[in-house]
Amino acid sequence: MRNALNAFYRFGGALSALQLTAIMVMVVLQVLGRVLDRVLVWVGADALGLNIPGLAELAAFLLLGATFFGLGYTFWQGGHIRVTLLVQHLPLPLQRFMDIAMVLLAAAITAFALWNSAWLTYDSYDFGDLSIGMVPVPLWIPQLGMVLGLLWLLIALMDAFVSLVTGRLQKIPTESPQE
Amino acid sequence: MDMIWMSLILLVVLLALLAAGLWVAFSLTVIGCVALYFFSSIPVGDSLSTAFYSASVSWELAALPMFIWMGEVLFRSRLSEEMFSGIAPWVGKVPGRLLHTNIVGCGIFAAISGSSAATAATIGKISIPELTRRGYDQKQILGTLAGSATLGLLIPPSIILIVYGVATEQSIARLFVAGILPGIMLMVLFAGYVMLWSLMNPAGVPPGESESLSFTAKVRRSRPLIPVALLIIGVIGSIYGGLASPTESAAIGVALAHLLSWRGGSMSRDTFISALMGTVKTSSMIAFILVGAHFLTTSMAFTGMPRELAAWIATLGLSPYMLLAALTLFFILLGCFLDGISVVVLTTSVILPMVQAAGIDLLWFGIYLVIVVEMSQITPPVGFNLFVIQGLTGENILRVAWAALPYFLLILAGVVLITIFPEIVTYLPSKMGN
Repeated sequence: MRNALNAFYRFGGALSALQLTAIMVMVVLQVLGRVLDRVLVWVGADALGLNIPGLAELAAFLLLGATFFGLGYTFWQGGHIRVTLLVQHLPLPLQRFMDIAMVLLAAAITAFALWNSAWLTYDSYDFGDLSIGMVPVPLWIPQLGMVLGLLWLLIALMDAFVSLVTGRLQKIPTESPQE
Repeated sequence: MDMIWMSLILLVVLLALLAAGLWVAFSLTVIGCVALYFFSSIPVGDSLSTAFYSASVSWELAALPMFIWMGEVLFRSRLSEEMFSGIAPWVGKVPGRLLHTNIVGCGIFAAISGSSAATAATIGKISIPELTRRGYDQKQILGTLAGSATLGLLIPPSIILIVYGVATEQSIARLFVAGILPGIMLMVLFAGYVMLWSLMNPAGVPPGESESLSFTAKVRRSRPLIPVALLIIGVIGSIYGGLASPTESAAIGVALAHLLSWRGGSMSRDTFISALMGTVKTSSMIAFILVGAHFLTTSMAFTGMPRELAAWIATLGLSPYMLLAALTLFFILLGCFLDGISVVVLTTSVILPMVQAAGIDLLWFGIYLVIVVEMSQITPPVGFNLFVIQGLTGENILRVAWAALPYFLLILAGVVLITIFPEIVTYLPSKMGN
C-alpha cells in the first residue's frame, strides 16, 4: 500500500514534469521557427511560416496541468511553504497534534475546492464552453486537470493524516524552500 | 469603522493560521473564504473554483517554471568552481580582494537564477571554504555572501518579479529591465562598503597572492565563464530588445543551460531528473500560493475592503514618502516571519489600491517591494539566506544575521536612493520599445 501510494505521487510528479518539458520544447521550436523565417526572408527566400497555432494558449493549459498534477507530489516531498517557527518549539506530541489539525483543515479546503472545481468542469461540459483563442478548446478538458490535481493533493493529505494518527509519521516533513 | 474591524479580524485569523503551521497557500485560501462568507454576498464555492482556474491558466506565468528550471540545471553544473576561479584574478588588487568574489559571483549567478537561496548556495559552496582557508575575516565572508545573494531576487530573471507581474498585471519584461540598474547599484554599494571596511581593518584581509597575471592570462582564467555570460546576455538582451517574451527567452534559456551543462560534462540522467523534479516542486509550490493569492485578491475586491482602506489612508493626508516609510517598516516586520513571495502576494491582494491611490507607479513599486523583500531574506528568525548559510557553515543563524547587518542597512540605503531618484528604476524601461 505504502509503495503504491509513493508510486502514485511520483506518477503525478512525472506528469507535471512531462508537461513542463512539453512547454519548453514547444516554445523552443516556435522561437527557432521564427528565427529560421527571419533568416530566410533576410537571404531573399520566402518565409515558411513555421508556427504552432494557439501555442500560447496551449502552453497556458499545460501550465495548469503542471501546477495541479504536481501538488500531491510536492506535498509528499514536503515542498509546500509553511511557517514552522512557533510550532517547532512545542513538545513533540503537541507538534503532532497541530500537524494533524492543520492537515485536516487543509484537506477540508482541498475537498471544498475539489467539489466546486468538479461542478465548474461539469457546467463547462454541459454548456459546451470553448476557450476564446485561435484554436477553440472545450474548457472542461483543462478544468478536468484541475479536478484531478486537487484529488491527488487530497489523497496525499488524507495519507498524511492517517500516517500521523497511526504514528508512522511523527511530523510532516518540511524542506527549506528555495526562492 | 466596520472596515477597520473587518481587516483586523482577517489579519488576526491569517496570522493565527500561519503561526499554527498551516501552509501559506491554504492560509490565503481560508482567508479568502472567510472574507467572502462573512463580508459579502458572493457565493464562496463558485468564486473559489473560478479564481483557481483563471489564475493557473496563464502564458506569462509559464516563465516561472522555465526560469526555475534554468537555475536548477545550472545549480547542478560545475558553475560554482568556475565562478570562483574565473572572478578571483580580477579582484586581487582591489581593497577587500577576494571578498569581492562573493559580490560579483552572486551578481552573475543572480542573472541566471531567480532565487536568492540558490544564489547563496551556489556561490557559498566554493567561496566559503576558499576564503576561510586563505584567512579572510569570517564575519565578512558570511556578510558579503548573505547580503549579495539577496540580489537573486532583484536582478533578472527574478522569480519574485514574475509573481509580482502576474499578480498585478504588469509587464514582466519591463519589470525585469527595471531591476537591472537597481541591482547594479546595490552591487556597487556592497563593493564600496567592502573596500572601506578593508581599508579600516587591514587585518581581516590577507595579503594578495604573489602571482601577478597579465591581462590575457586573466582572460584565459575566466574563459569557462564566457558561455554563461553569453547565456545571460542572450536571455536578458532578447527580453530588453523585444525579440522574445520572458516565457520564450526562459524556454530558450532552459535548452541552453542543458547544452552548457552537457558540454561541461556535468549532465547525466540523474542530474536531468533531479533538476526537473526540483523544478516541479518549486513551481507547484509557488503557483499554488499564487492561485490562493488570486482568490484572496478577488475576495478582497468583492468585500471592498482594500478600496475603503485606501480611502481611509487618503484621509490621513500622508505624503507618498511617509506612506512608503510606514510600508517599509511594515514589510520589514512582516518579512521577519514570512517568506518573500507571501509578502508580495499579500501586498498585491490588500495594499495595492492604497499604493495606486497615493499616485505611486506600479512598476517602480514592484522594484521597491522586491528590494524591501530582499532585506527579509537576511533578517532573523525567518530569513532564507540565513538558513542556507547556516546549512553551509554550521554557524548559528543569529551570528550570520549579525554579520549580514551592514548589508541589511546598505539595502535600506538602496531603498532610500531609488525613492529619491526613481529614475534608477524607470530609466531603462522607458528606453524600451513596446
